[in-house]
Amino acid sequence: MIGAALYLARRSFANAMRRRLARLRQPKYLVAFAVGVLYYYWLILRPRSSDGGPGFPLIAGEVIAILGLAALAATNWLFGSSRSPFAFTPAETHFLFTAPLTRRQVLDFKLLRSQLPIFLSSLLSVLLFSGGHFPATRIMRVLGLWLVFATLQMHTGVAALVRQSLEEHGVTAVRRRLGVFTVVAVVAALTVLTVRRELPGLQAAFTLDPRIGFDALSAVLHRGVLGVVVWPLAALVRPALAPDLAGFVARLPAALLVVAFHYVWLVRSSLAFEEVAVEAAERMARRIAAWRSGRRLAPVEGRGKRARRALTRLAATGSPARAIAWKNVQAEWRGSGVRLPVIIGIGVVVVAWVASLGEAAGTGLQVLATLFLIFGGMTLVFGPYVLRNDLRSDLLLWDLLKGYPVRGADLVAGEALGPVTILTAVAWACLFGAFATSLLLDLPAFPVSDRVAALLAAAIAAPVVISVTTLIQNAAALLFPAWVTLGPARTAGIEVIGQRLLTMVGSLVLMGIALIPALLVAALGVAVGGLAGLDGAWRAVPGAIGLAATLGVEARLALAWLGRVFDRSDPAAELVG
Amino acid sequence: MIEVRDLTKLYGNLVAVDGLSFAVAPGEVLGLVGPNGAGKTTTLRSLVGIIRPTRGTISIGGRDLQRDPVAAKRQLAFIPDEPRLFEYLTVEEHLRFTARLYGVGQGDADRRIPALLSELELTEKAGAVPDELSRGMKQKLAIACGLLHEPQALLFDEPLTGLDPAGMRRMKQTIVERARVGAAVILSSHLLHLVEEICTRVLVIHRGRLVALGTIAEIVAARPDLQGKTLEEVFLALTERGSDA
Repeated sequence: MIGAALYLARRSFANAMRRRLARLRQPKYLVAFAVGVLYYYWLILRPRSSDGGPGFPLIAGEVIAILGLAALAATNWLFGSSRSPFAFTPAETHFLFTAPLTRRQVLDFKLLRSQLPIFLSSLLSVLLFSGGHFPATRIMRVLGLWLVFATLQMHTGVAALVRQSLEEHGVTAVRRRLGVFTVVAVVAALTVLTVRRELPGLQAAFTLDPRIGFDALSAVLHRGVLGVVVWPLAALVRPALAPDLAGFVARLPAALLVVAFHYVWLVRSSLAFEEVAVEAAERMARRIAAWRSGRRLAPVEGRGKRARRALTRLAATGSPARAIAWKNVQAEWRGSGVRLPVIIGIGVVVVAWVASLGEAAGTGLQVLATLFLIFGGMTLVFGPYVLRNDLRSDLLLWDLLKGYPVRGADLVAGEALGPVTILTAVAWACLFGAFATSLLLDLPAFPVSDRVAALLAAAIAAPVVISVTTLIQNAAALLFPAWVTLGPARTAGIEVIGQRLLTMVGSLVLMGIALIPALLVAALGVAVGGLAGLDGAWRAVPGAIGLAATLGVEARLALAWLGRVFDRSDPAAELVG
Repeated sequence: MIEVRDLTKLYGNLVAVDGLSFAVAPGEVLGLVGPNGAGKTTTLRSLVGIIRPTRGTISIGGRDLQRDPVAAKRQLAFIPDEPRLFEYLTVEEHLRFTARLYGVGQGDADRRIPALLSELELTEKAGAVPDELSRGMKQKLAIACGLLHEPQALLFDEPLTGLDPAGMRRMKQTIVERARVGAAVILSSHLLHLVEEICTRVLVIHRGRLVALGTIAEIVAARPDLQGKTLEEVFLALTERGSDA
């Protein structure tokens, strides 16, 4: 069993390397590989002046690691996918499930196979923070991190299985695990109450001295209910943070206990949800294979769940671009899974919590307004990279798109318009949320009229900035389909890192070029506003109009060009290569 | 209705299609046959406007596909062997979306969509996304999308793939019925009995070149050595020399 797994891992790794090296004969991969190598050199091996900076208390490291791990686990349960990290490939399904192996042996096989990438990730992570030095003792860190990553992967696997079971069986599954859910809910409630009770003391300690703050936080984390919740996290991270070999060995048993617990948990869960797991794994693997082939529509995960109701009904007549945009909005709405309701739920809870703070509400409202602005800003900057229901998804259905009686420019516009609509709505909601929250605050330095002006200016500029960024991403997919991840497929390798870096740099350069004239016109708008007698922040409004108009003209020109590119080009030929 | 002149497609040095010329009149069903790699798919993809020909012209209902692609494509439907569907649109939404793209109009869409759903036995699945459909149902949905705008030119690529016997029979009836009401149909398939059963003429291509075009009787008449042979034997005789299939 172990021999077979190791053989498969070894040969797969060697053949993958050989294939990647052979691919370097193509200039586009060679250039990307060179960029990737330079990137890793800069990240890991470049000489640095100091190797640790100012003394960082070990206790702080442990606390941060525990909180990070807790956040990861929570994120996993709340927003994670039901796609197991242990999904079987079609070949694995075919060979392993028909082989004379028990289901547990099959799982062991999969677990074993996944260890090589996890080990390499641990090694890379340690190298990243090694400051260019790698003494022999660092191997402890690698091994410690390996334990952390392997456990995290198993934890993710269990979470995915539970999520899958819930999606398959709904209320029945909830009822079946009612006891577990009750315990989890009680522990979560006690944790929140403890944190709330201890918060003032912790605030005071951190204000006094961060070291004292971390000591106090560590003490809070290790007593009462929190102590029980945090114990496995602490046990797991401690070997990786051990100061010396003796410390590492002493901390190892507790960590191994956590690993063993996760192994048993995963195996029991996998066997319990066996059919669900295997079916979903097969479907997922087929889906990825289909996406990678670039030929067929990927069958989605067949969980048998009903589609959400459409947000809006498509009008029978109108421009094709709006129809395509409508399709992409539906895809985003229906494809967001449970994440969207969870995010909205958390948002409501946060707002309610802030409102319940009584006298301390002022600070809470400030935090809330700031959070709205941060989220709005992130939507503006990162949103177009995250929402990909446009050409980045649909180019895999390229032949279908080409068959439509629609001009290329309309099609590209429609594709980009979907994510732009959603992101604009989110950005506007955040801006309005920040504005509305600010109305409850007394901000003498920022009068309400100025806030209205800022809201207007930002609301005018946001959609065009989002449009241009989204259009650049779509242009990259159209012009360099082999360099952009189309659909959900994920590829690895140094040259892929290089390709992503080049694409990202290219996008930033293009955005910069697009912004130069727009900012000049915006500055002109501000000046004109001043001449027209507008005060302070209100001058930003004509500036934003100038910015939006210029970017709008640029976007239209880009659309016309990209439409011609779409009409003439053959991305399928690129994808095949 | 469909007129192809000197259609040529090169991929670098590879000649995928070499100077193909033919026409399909309204009411006619032309069978496109050839061994693997003969250029059938390239021909079909060129006819639909997916691929730009290197040389030659394609006209659909008198509209040049290169010069006036939007008008030409409005009269055209391509039903691929593998249904291409959007994973987050329901069956009915696929049809509404297609209606909008092809400019079908509210009244016609409201009339045709339930009729097509009923004809293809998809009424009960109108609210389902592709995830919830079987392979055959997905194929039916792709066909419904193709038929919705009542195209004058229909192109089928291996239309029976994935269908059960009843589905196959219905599909054949659909093809024949569309031709009967005046559509020009091209059907690409390796199933020679299907071609023999429903095609009025056959176009045999090999290595991108036209090898034979006409009714089966005309093709056999042009080759006395093929007298009395089955279509399969005729096909093999026409394509066996140098075949790399």
